[in-house]
Amino acid sequence: MSEMWINMGPQHPMTHGLWNLRVKIDGELIVDADPEMGYLHRGIEKISEDRHYNEVVTLMDRCCYVAGMSWEHLYILASEQALSIAPPERAEYIRTMADEFQRLGSHLMWYAAFVQDLGLMSPFLYGMRDRDLILDLFQSFTGARMTYEYMRVGGVRNDLPPGFTDRARKVMDWLVDRFREYDALCLGSDIFRKRCDGLGVLSQAQCVELGVTGPMLRSAGSSRDLRKDRPYSAYDRLEFDVARADAGDVTARYLVRMEEMRQSVRIVRQILDWLDTHPGPVMAERVPRWLGAPYAPIGREDYLLKRRYPKGVGFSAIEEPHGEAQAYVVNEGGEHPYRVKFRSPVFANLSAAKHYLVGYHVADIPPIMGSVDICVGECDR
Amino acid sequence: MTVTLYSVAQSIAQAILGAIASVLPPAGRGVASAPVVTGLAVLLFAAILLVASMLNTIVLIWFERKLLGRFMDRRGAMHVGFAGILQNFADGLKLARKDTVRPREADTLGFWTGPTAYLVTSLILFGILPVSSGWNSGVLPLSLLLALAIFSFAPLFIFVSAWSSNNKYSLMGGMRSAAQMIAYEVPLLLSVVAVVLVSGSFDLTTIVEQQQNYWYGGPLLLALIVFVAAMLAEMERIPFDLPEAEAELVEGWNTEYGGMLFAFFMLSDYVRALVGSYLVVLLFLGGWTMPTWVPSTLTSFPLAGIVWFMIKTYIVFGVFVWVRAALPRVRTDQLLRVGWNRMIPLALLSVVLAAGVVYAKCLPVFGCVPGLGG
Amino acid sequence: MEPGEWERTLRASLGEAVVAVEPFAGTRGRVRFRAGRALDVFRTVHGAGFTHLSMVGAIDWVDHREVFYVVWSDAAKEYAILSTDVPADQPRVASATSVWPSANWHEREAWEMVDIQFEGHPDLRHLLMPDGYAFHPLLRSFKLHEPEELEVKVRHV
Repeated sequence: MSEMWINMGPQHPMTHGLWNLRVKIDGELIVDADPEMGYLHRGIEKISEDRHYNEVVTLMDRCCYVAGMSWEHLYILASEQALSIAPPERAEYIRTMADEFQRLGSHLMWYAAFVQDLGLMSPFLYGMRDRDLILDLFQSFTGARMTYEYMRVGGVRNDLPPGFTDRARKVMDWLVDRFREYDALCLGSDIFRKRCDGLGVLSQAQCVELGVTGPMLRSAGSSRDLRKDRPYSAYDRLEFDVARADAGDVTARYLVRMEEMRQSVRIVRQILDWLDTHPGPVMAERVPRWLGAPYAPIGREDYLLKRRYPKGVGFSAIEEPHGEAQAYVVNEGGEHPYRVKFRSPVFANLSAAKHYLVGYHVADIPPIMGSVDICVGECDR
Repeated sequence: MTVTLYSVAQSIAQAILGAIASVLPPAGRGVASAPVVTGLAVLLFAAILLVASMLNTIVLIWFERKLLGRFMDRRGAMHVGFAGILQNFADGLKLARKDTVRPREADTLGFWTGPTAYLVTSLILFGILPVSSGWNSGVLPLSLLLALAIFSFAPLFIFVSAWSSNNKYSLMGGMRSAAQMIAYEVPLLLSVVAVVLVSGSFDLTTIVEQQQNYWYGGPLLLALIVFVAAMLAEMERIPFDLPEAEAELVEGWNTEYGGMLFAFFMLSDYVRALVGSYLVVLLFLGGWTMPTWVPSTLTSFPLAGIVWFMIKTYIVFGVFVWVRAALPRVRTDQLLRVGWNRMIPLALLSVVLAAGVVYAKCLPVFGCVPGLGG
Repeated sequence: MEPGEWERTLRASLGEAVVAVEPFAGTRGRVRFRAGRALDVFRTVHGAGFTHLSMVGAIDWVDHREVFYVVWSDAAKEYAILSTDVPADQPRVASATSVWPSANWHEREAWEMVDIQFEGHPDLRHLLMPDGYAFHPLLRSFKLHEPEELEVKVRHV
C-alpha cells in the first residue's frame, strides 16, 4: 500500500475533543503528522474584551472542561496584577487548594481516558468514579461541578462550608489507596508496558525547543515546575516534591502524572490543616463588598463613579494540570480589559505532535496522544 | 432410547401432521406420510436449535454486560426486565428499526453479503456442535474438522465487508483481521491436533465421552492454554481486538455499518464467542459429562447434560470477560510476533506432549486408561 | 538582575536595537526593541539563557500594533517579556521560528488574529480559523456586535 493521509478527527474516538489529527501513513507506519485545530474556537480572547473583569471568569470555566478552576486562577492572578489588588491570605490558600483539586480531577480524567485508549475499560470507570468525589468537593464549596465561577478579583466568592475539611480529608485518604490500584492495573501489566515503553519519546532539549511543558517536560528529565520555580499563591509556604522521570516516553508521562497526584494529595492535606486554624476574610478589603457577590463585575461601578483603576498590565503564569499556562491582561483603565491573551499549554504541546508521532505505528497514536493529555477547549480557546 | 432434539422434533411433527390428517378428507391423508414428517421434523429441529441458540447468545451478552459491570464497579444493565435481562432484546429491536446507511462509493454486493454470510456461517456452527448427546444435527464423524473449517471462514467475509465499505479505517481493520486470524489459525489447529491424537477421533461426541473421568484439559494443559489464547484472537476479543480497536480505527472493519447490518456483526461476534467457549468445554473440559463418582442425583435430572454444559460454558466465557476487564489491547506487530514466534512452537510442543501421552497409553495423575489413543 | 542592569548588558551587544527595558512585575523586565532588528534581539536573548519561548501575542493599539514574546530562562528561573511596536499599515516583524521553533503556532495565531506579517515563517496559514477566512478578529475594528455574513470555504482532504 502506498502512503496515504488519513484524518483522525474531528469525530474520532482517539481525539477526546474536536480536533483533527491528519497523519500520513505507510502501511501502519506514521511518516508525517499535522494537527488541525480550531474546531472549538470560540474567540474567548475577543469576547473578553467586551466583558467586565469578573465576567471573564465565566469564560475561563469554559476554556477547559477538566481544568476550569486552574484557568480561573490564571486569569485572576493576571487581572489582580493589572488592577493592583491583592487577595487575603486565606483566599490564596483556598485558591491553591482548588488548584490542586483541579489537578487531581484533571489527572484522574486523563488516567481514565488514557487507559481506555489502550483498550482497557475498567480503569476508565475507576478514574471517573474517583473524579466524581473531587467534583463532589467542588460542588460543596462552589455549587458547581464543572463551571465554578468561584474566584473573584480580590479573593474568592465564598468561604468553605462547615465540615468541608473533614470531608476533603476522607476523599484524600480514599484516593491514596486507589492510586495503588491504578499502578497495579497498569504498571503491573506486561501488555501495558509493551504498549507504552519507548513510545512518543521527546528529549528534554526537544521539549524546550518546541515549547512543550508540564508533565511531558518533566517526564523528559527536567524538574521545571512553576509551583517551585516561580511560586504563586500559597505554594511557597507548602512542602511538596516535583514529580519527574527521565525516559521521556509514554510510561514516563504516566509515572509523572501519578506522582503528581500523590503530591497534590500531600499539598491538599497541608492546606486543609492550615485552613482549620486560620479563619479570616476571603475577599480583599479594597474591593467593595458588592464585588464579592456573584456576577458583580469589578470595574463597572467604579467606572460609573469615575473611579478608574490605574492603567496596568498583568502577566501571570501557573502550572496548570496540562503544563504551563500564561495570561497577559492589559488594563487601559476602562471597564473591560483592553486585551487578554492566554497561552495554553496544550496548544504548545500539540504543536510538537509531528516530533513525537513520526516513526511510530498507527496503533501507537492513542497511547501517545493520550499521554499528551489534550483538552481542546483550552487549546482553541 | 435417549431423547434427542431430533426425536422431539419428529414427534412434534408427527403430532401436528397427524392432527391435520385426521380432519382432512381421506384424499389428503398423504400429508402424514414419512417424507413429509421427516421434512417438517428437520425444519422444526432447525427452528428450535436456532431460537434456542440465539436466546443463549443473547443471555450470553447479558451475562458479559453484568459481569463486566461488576468488574468495573458498576451494575451493568438494570432497567429492562429483571436485572436488565431484556435490555439486549430492546437493543436488538432498536437496531432493527434503524436505517442502514450505505456509503455512496461502497460496493453494494460486498457490503450486503459480507455481514450476512458472516452471520450465517457463524450460526451453522450451532448445528454442528453438540451441547449434549443427541443435541446436534446427527452423527458427524468429522464434526470437529467441519466446525473448525466453518469457523475459519470469518476473515474472508470480514475482509469482503471491510473492503467493500470503501473506508480507510475499515480497510485497515479488515487487513488486520485477516492477518490476525490467519496467524492464529495455525496454533489453534495444532492445539486441536493434540486433542485428536489423544482421543483418536474427529467426532466431538466421541471426544466428549472419552473425557468422562479425565478432562483433556489436565494432561493437555499446554494445548488448552494455546487453544484459549488463539481462540481469544479468533474471536477478536480484548486483548486481541485490534481489528476493531476503537481508539485508533474507530470501529475497524464495521465502521461504516449501522442498523441491522451492524447487529449482524455484533451478533456474529457473540455467536463466535459462544461457539469458542463451547469448543473449549467440548475439547478440554469434558463437555456435558460428569465424572462417574458424582452422585447420580446430580447427573440424572432432565436435561442434566445441557445444564452441566452451559454451566461450564459460562464459566469459560466468564474467564474471557475477566481477561477483557483486566488487560489492555496489544499492538498488531506484537500480536503477530507472539502468534508466529511463541504460539506455534508452544502448540507444536503440546502436540509432542500429546504424542507422548498416547505412546505411554497412560495419563499423568489419572493412571492408565484402556482405549486411549483410539 | 535588575531591569536597568539588564538594559546596559543588552545595549552593549545590541546597541540601538533595544529601546528600553522596563520593570515588569513578576519578570526580569520588559524589553522594548525595534522591530527591524528583531532577529538580533532574539538571538541575543536566546543566548542569554532564555531558551524557552512560551508565548507570542499581539495587541492592536489602533494607531500601531504591539507584538510581545514571553521567554523563560531555566537557569535564572525567570520570565522576560520582549515587546516591539509595528506600524498598523505595515505590520511586519521577523519570525522567531529560526531561534525558537516553538514560535510556529503562536505566530500563526498572531497573524490570523491581529494580522502581523511574520517574515520568514515557514508555514503562515490559518490555524484556528477556517482556510480562506478574510478577517482578523482580534483587531479593534472587528466589532463583536456587528456580525458579518461570510462564506467559509471548507477544505476536504
